Amino acid sequence: MRMDTVIMGGGLSGLACGIALAKRGKRVAIVASGQSTLLFNGGSMEMLGYVDGKAVTSPLEAIATLPQSHPYSKIGAERIAALSERVKLLFNDSGVNMTGTANANHWRITPMGVAKPAWLTLNDHLRIDDLNNLPAKRLALMCIRGYFDQPNSMMAMGLRNLGFEVKVIEFTTDDISALRRSPSEMRATNLAKRLVSHSALQRIADQINSLAGDADMVLLPSVFGQSDDSDFQSLQSKVNKPLRLIATLPPAVAGMRIQTQLRHYFRMLGGTYLMGDSAVSGTIEGDQLTSITTAKMNDMPLRADNFVLATGSFVSRGLRADYERIYEPVLDLDVDADADREQWTRFGVLEPQAYMRYGVATDEQFRCRKQGKTINNLYAIGSVLSGHDAVKMGDGTGVSLLTALAVNDLIIAKK
Amino acid sequence: MAERMQLCNLSENNFEQCTKCSICTTVCPVAAVTTDYPGPKQAGPDGERYRLKDPAYFDKALKLCLNCKRCEVACPSGVHIADIIQHARMRATEGHRASLRDTMLANTDLLGTMANLVAPVANATLGLSPVKMVMHSMMAIDKHRTFPAYSRQKFTTWFKRHAAQSQDAYSNHVSYFHGCYVNYNFPKLGQDLVKLLNAMGYGVHLLDKEQCCGVALIANGLYKQAKRQARTNIASIRTAVNRDHHMVLTTSSSCTFNMRDEYATMLDIDNSDVRDNITLATRFIYNLVDEGKIKLIFKQDYKRRVAYHTACHMQRMGWQLFSIELLRMIPGLDLIELEQECCGISGTYGFKKENYERSQAIGSALFKSIEQAQVEAVATDCETCKWQIEMSTGLPVENPISILADALDVEATRQANGIK
Repeated sequence: MRMDTVIMGGGLSGLACGIALAKRGKRVAIVASGQSTLLFNGGSMEMLGYVDGKAVTSPLEAIATLPQSHPYSKIGAERIAALSERVKLLFNDSGVNMTGTANANHWRITPMGVAKPAWLTLNDHLRIDDLNNLPAKRLALMCIRGYFDQPNSMMAMGLRNLGFEVKVIEFTTDDISALRRSPSEMRATNLAKRLVSHSALQRIADQINSLAGDADMVLLPSVFGQSDDSDFQSLQSKVNKPLRLIATLPPAVAGMRIQTQLRHYFRMLGGTYLMGDSAVSGTIEGDQLTSITTAKMNDMPLRADNFVLATGSFVSRGLRADYERIYEPVLDLDVDADADREQWTRFGVLEPQAYMRYGVATDEQFRCRKQGKTINNLYAIGSVLSGHDAVKMGDGTGVSLLTALAVNDLIIAKK
Repeated sequence: MAERMQLCNLSENNFEQCTKCSICTTVCPVAAVTTDYPGPKQAGPDGERYRLKDPAYFDKALKLCLNCKRCEVACPSGVHIADIIQHARMRATEGHRASLRDTMLANTDLLGTMANLVAPVANATLGLSPVKMVMHSMMAIDKHRTFPAYSRQKFTTWFKRHAAQSQDAYSNHVSYFHGCYVNYNFPKLGQDLVKLLNAMGYGVHLLDKEQCCGVALIANGLYKQAKRQARTNIASIRTAVNRDHHMVLTTSSSCTFNMRDEYATMLDIDNSDVRDNITLATRFIYNLVDEGKIKLIFKQDYKRRVAYHTACHMQRMGWQLFSIELLRMIPGLDLIELEQECCGISGTYGFKKENYERSQAIGSALFKSIEQAQVEAVATDCETCKWQIEMSTGLPVENPISILADALDVEATRQANGIK
């Protein structure tokens, strides 16, 4: 089977790159092994949150200070400004309603109630542009009875530390109580599947309207709208105060919504999304990757002019570690990683961990190499790249999106 | 030492690899509509830890699992969640007798043989509301369901009378596992395949002996019978492969998945020597076109807007691409690929009274997206999805093979492939 481009990996970067290429009329197949880490995303994208442990105010300015090994440095600060606008358009075209700017970070609230710098946040989720000018004074933190994926007291404490007055209000409705019969399944995503009908939303609105008291903003866990924000809009129209959603522990509705919308848009553009299949090997001839083999189409290789490796980091199995080495499992590409295993980790789990920066080695154009030889039509994007640290630098989703579009441009510019 | 550690890390169905991320739960169509089912993580790897301690921990709610395998497709860690659940069900129901209703629903070929003999009567009677009410109350087969109509003439009878003699004239040959649905309910699909393959220069042959693949038997706990039938089928397939050097083609995604994968994982039948020779006709044909070995020429005036629905087992096999790409070769076909969602029928599951409402609730998102797609027909590779979608949306549902056969310019295709 022949495609223009085959993308290995169906997460955020694979989808963004696939959409951009399909929009230019390319025949694209995405090979996605299972669901991606987008399902852990609470509704925000971050470009650059921290440098040397300090929160970044303007990501575009701070990018210029990054070392040459960082993926952003390969793109260049100036191009990133342009690409960041295109990321917003891409989300907009896909129906993902997000707001933010690369000139100035805003703040998102983690499920544990901590404010972290962010670039884009879903419009129906809580976003604080300025910590000295909070969007509300008195918050009603509406907590669903029996729902354990939101640590309510920590959330309240975190919000109070930011200067909000917070009233914690527990509530339930018949629809929600019914779900408690199966406590192990009382997850954000399952709640979101049930809380969709006009009447179910009305019952929640009634609770909010009667319990929220003098609050000037109402917060709810992010359990509304798995495929778009229409359920939230419907609920907001029934409530007489401004509503905002706050991220829950995963699996997260916001990430699922983003994934659903991106995947839907990719399919609408004629893209092929192979769910539940994975690349297992490839054929390299000279400086070209000519085809890849997948687990499920084993005797029918996928051929293409260009290939994109978007398989993610260790958690997505785009990178693997055994007792001796760190490696890339599909093609055994060259990786940037310490040979000495002692260097991989540090004892304290919250310490900066060296392995977070490991990834496949690429040249200035994100082309991969094997045994020192560059493969001219194989590009790496997203978390599988070396030189960044999603945890300590808050650059994970930004690297995924911006390298995806940068590589799209390189592929389009060929010939 | 390192290698020994790795070996200790292996586990049946990969269940030690579960990281408790709960992603499987987000795609489970059953957990989405009922609180009676604990969901794939709890029913699968989590429950398995208890069941290993004491089989008494088996939870009867596991019978609500559709075996759609969507949890396995979603799992980022490669855990065979649905297999864990099915194996637990198998162990727990060993020696139990299935109910008359389940036995009847599961024996699609026995039922088909009887019904074919009296097809006009059977079709008329099974459609009557008093009969439906009796089946509903006495046999617990839901009254909303209409049994797929039985054909007056079996596919095999048609094939022997009208097609068998002319097949040897072709230079290439394949065997066809038609399955119960083509044989008893819808011979046209088999006829369409013969038409298509003949135009490509391929002669079609039946297996020496074919029995129902047994997918419904497994679902209804009739494992012994399923094993017997599986042995017969694999023996016939072996003969076709080794004696005749044929590929064995199918037109049903569930039969295919069952014979390729579930025979080994669920029934412990070694099919490894012939597994690669069992394939869906769309995959086989796509490959021939892709390699430039054959050409398909389609009618100039063919115009249709169709939505493709990926059946659960099709998604599990990861082969939807072949059907979709084949359909996209038809110039006049406007093809919409639907989001991959379960239709809710899952073979015999949706026919049971206790499952009817759940079955429709599961399918509702799919039905809605079909309505929104504004199409003339739906294409899918699964016959039970066909019944469910036809009943629930009123649109005709066709196998991609039938659509291809319909759009094919037979004469031009025969010429292009050098056939007189």
